[in-house]
Amino acid sequence: MFWNNLKIALRNLRKNKLFAFINIAGLALGMTIYVLGGLIVKYEKNHDAFFANSDRIYTVGSIAAPELNVGIDQLNATFSAVGPIIESELTDVEVVARTLRREFLVTQGDNSFYQTILFSDPALLEIFDFDYVGGSADALNDPSSILITETTAIKYFGDTDVVGKVITLDNQHDFYISAVIENVPQNSHFNSSMVLEGQLEILAPIKALGPLRDFDEAGEWNNLSLGNMTYVMLPAGLDGTWLQTQMDGIYDRLLPEDQHEVITAFLIEPLQHANLAFWDTIGMPVITVIQLLSFLVLLIACVNYTNLATAQSLGRSREVGMRKTMGAGQHQLLSQFLLESLVIAAISMVVAIAILEVVIPLLNNASNKAMTLDYTRTLPWLVLTTVLVGLCSGLYPAWLITRASPIAALRDEARKGKKGARMRSVMIGVQFAISAFMLSTVAISYMQNQRVKEASYIFPKSEIYTLARLGIDDIRGRLDTLRNELEALPDVESVAFSSQVPFEQSNSQTGVAAKPGDEAGAVTLMMMRMTPEFLDTYNIPLVAGRNLSRDMANDEFLSDETEVLNVLVNEMALGQLGIASPQEAINQRFYDLDVEDTLREYVIVGVVPTQNILGLFNAEKPWVFFYSARSLRTGSVRIRAGADFMDTVGAVEDVWKRVIPDYPMQGRFLDDVFNDVYKVLKYMNMALGGFAFVALSLAMVGLFGLAAFMAAQRTKEIGVRKVLGASSTQIARLLVWQFSKPVMWALAVALPAAFFASNSYLDFFAERIESPIIILLGTGLISVLLAWSTVAGHAYRIARANPVLALHYE
Amino acid sequence: MLKLHNMYKVYRTDEVETVALNGVNVEINQGDFIAVMGPSGCGKSTLLNIVGLLDSPSEGDYYFFDENVAGYSEKQRSEIRKKNIGFIFQSFNLIDQLNVAENIELALLYHDMPSAERKQRVADVMDRMGIAHRAKHMPGQLSGGQQQRVAVARAVVGNQPLILADEPTGNLDSAHGQEVMELLRTLNAEGTTIVMVTHSPAHADYARRTVNLFDGHVVTDALRAA
Repeated sequence: MFWNNLKIALRNLRKNKLFAFINIAGLALGMTIYVLGGLIVKYEKNHDAFFANSDRIYTVGSIAAPELNVGIDQLNATFSAVGPIIESELTDVEVVARTLRREFLVTQGDNSFYQTILFSDPALLEIFDFDYVGGSADALNDPSSILITETTAIKYFGDTDVVGKVITLDNQHDFYISAVIENVPQNSHFNSSMVLEGQLEILAPIKALGPLRDFDEAGEWNNLSLGNMTYVMLPAGLDGTWLQTQMDGIYDRLLPEDQHEVITAFLIEPLQHANLAFWDTIGMPVITVIQLLSFLVLLIACVNYTNLATAQSLGRSREVGMRKTMGAGQHQLLSQFLLESLVIAAISMVVAIAILEVVIPLLNNASNKAMTLDYTRTLPWLVLTTVLVGLCSGLYPAWLITRASPIAALRDEARKGKKGARMRSVMIGVQFAISAFMLSTVAISYMQNQRVKEASYIFPKSEIYTLARLGIDDIRGRLDTLRNELEALPDVESVAFSSQVPFEQSNSQTGVAAKPGDEAGAVTLMMMRMTPEFLDTYNIPLVAGRNLSRDMANDEFLSDETEVLNVLVNEMALGQLGIASPQEAINQRFYDLDVEDTLREYVIVGVVPTQNILGLFNAEKPWVFFYSARSLRTGSVRIRAGADFMDTVGAVEDVWKRVIPDYPMQGRFLDDVFNDVYKVLKYMNMALGGFAFVALSLAMVGLFGLAAFMAAQRTKEIGVRKVLGASSTQIARLLVWQFSKPVMWALAVALPAAFFASNSYLDFFAERIESPIIILLGTGLISVLLAWSTVAGHAYRIARANPVLALHYE
Repeated sequence: MLKLHNMYKVYRTDEVETVALNGVNVEINQGDFIAVMGPSGCGKSTLLNIVGLLDSPSEGDYYFFDENVAGYSEKQRSEIRKKNIGFIFQSFNLIDQLNVAENIELALLYHDMPSAERKQRVADVMDRMGIAHRAKHMPGQLSGGQQQRVAVARAVVGNQPLILADEPTGNLDSAHGQEVMELLRTLNAEGTTIVMVTHSPAHADYARRTVNLFDGHVVTDALRAA
């Protein structure tokens, strides 16, 4: 019986090639997306499992205080001062180690590269069992030692046998290589950050940061940055809940009072979560969304198949009748039809796997991941998916066609009647509801992204070439020369240096008050250290007063002892300081609250408009601008509009090589800085768009197939209507309307759902699009038009047919 | 063999009630060859469906080998059907995706019969019907007459004692029609009971008894002159 049924299944596929193709293509597409989604989720959730102690390792993160106002809720990093406290307070903890990311120019012979170095406590090597090619786990005990990966060894030395050899940091500090480790797999949080650049390449002892960057090994309370990790390894028997309780105690007892306004708690999370922490940081449940969307696409594909298979199976009513006449029971026929859908599901899965074998390497390349379709592990899941898809999507048509009595089946009553018509409408509704839901959320996130992009045009992003890594003392001394020479270039309009450039996600803040020492009236201002050319370079106009100048007394911040400093503020800062207007602000004073020794008085000499300097998801903030030659980390070269940008960048590089020959230039356009974060939003939108496209395509294919079937089913009715005088247009309208009803219902459900879902995306942005409802209605209209255009061609063709033929056929 | 006693079949929709069989009494004996005749809508096919246990009566008794099956469920009817009754339809009802041998084998598929035995019986019946050379052909490749031969083969391959034929020659030209009737006559001669619905008086002549229906009533039930 089984072989007989299998034979019929295969012959049916051969006989109805078009429907077979549509069915298999639809299911294969759905399965591809679902399996890919599953692989991505599994890959992302199973990072770092290869470390022997991975289930005992936890990260110490921080919950951001709302008043911090930096647009994030939490991060899996904390102050570097926390690690030593854990070590001394929690004696039950097995090992604690910190890592701090710092960038250095690393040189060996003629090879010089800027590298991110993880400065860590030596105990890090007890927590993570790296595979040593040379050296051992005591490699970070000596403050002048350094540990590198195989790839790094080859990059600098062309060889991995390099233990004992020397590399130089920032052209000044020699370190000897104490160990070489195998490259850490790609699926480790060390290598897979969404925003932090680079891979784990170099580890150095945290002690070395003292002489290099004046860092106190005991740690700091003033810096909370992504990538500065604190790891805790617990002994067997203790778990994260225990550690969280202990850390809550440390928060209450030992966290400095002023840091309570920065973080509201420590956040303990298992190591396996470290890879996904970025999404928690920006508050978007991306992994859950991928899981949900890939499932929804598969659901659409299944509903699509069910719908088409239902329509098709009705054409086999006589066969069912005949088999029943000859004694077949419903369960036997059910298993026959289910076997057919299982065969289609199996073929679809094979096609899906073939597609995945092509897509996964491409995706790995594009996203720097190392996903694999490991059959030994995924086979049970793939088989289960195939069986469930086959059974679930085939059950309804099988039940519908086999439940008829033998006579009804032989008379083909199902095809003539309205059997299953409501269910088919419901299925179309479900498909369109899901597709319209996705389309709407894509449209809203796209419009929001567009808004973010448009808002970024306040600064001439494409005309500003930024120079990074100027914060080295050795370079700072040459910045004036660099500026003079760059400004002498014919196509350079101006050159400014600053502590950060627009769109760089750095939140350097200072507490000030309108009256000296008035803690109750404290105002937090964002700080921009800059040279006077900054305003011109970025087209920032003055609303009142004057720009800072090199020639005016008190305009430059010279040292921490500076008592009076002229500053610029933006209009929003005025509001917070209680100053009524820009004109009144000039010569008004306010006071620093953060300085312990010197009470610094700030004098407002100029007011600039409120602009969203951090841009992207951030709210507009109150800013204060200092002229300070200290703390300058980036340069901005404004290139004349219309100039040949590549030539100018070449000229800038020539100047750099002349002025600062000992450090490579790290330049890129401000556009690229903006894209550091914007690309995440863009990729998310593209991924969402991909899901929506597949979902909508499937829904339309389903609708098209069903329209063909329904039109054929109504042949007689169409013939009669035409004989009675209905025009082709009237008939076409009738058929189109038949499909419009479920689509309308679908929209009534999908659009409100999309409204709520897209709110969780919009919540991430301080400045949101104003009219998501108009966008929703627009996408609803597009969905209806797409449905109409899918059905209309078919309907019109059927409606134009000769009525005699229609009646004769019946 | 079969006995229909005071049988009614009423079709009801929301507003209309149609009486298809109105107190029918018919007895069918083993070895009978009965032609059921009458105008369109007189209840011929309904009668055949009930006799063939494809449908159940609204009222009345139906004794199938002394067992009153009138109130049986579809499952029970299906069991009796597959062991005792072979069907031949006007439109052949062959399955397009199966070849001739497979279509015939279908009638044995739902019996617990080993594959080898099934194949043997199919081969035997194809020989008997003269269609062995068409075993691998698909229905679409056969003429109407040949298709009906296959349908007859399918009806007899299970050695069922009763064959019900619903206008078996309705879709055939006269030559092929006659051929099929000869086949039925031979089967009847070999002991198979045959009940056939037909419009054709010529083909009814092959039967030994004719039952005439009108408006759901049996109006005549007579043996034909030999």
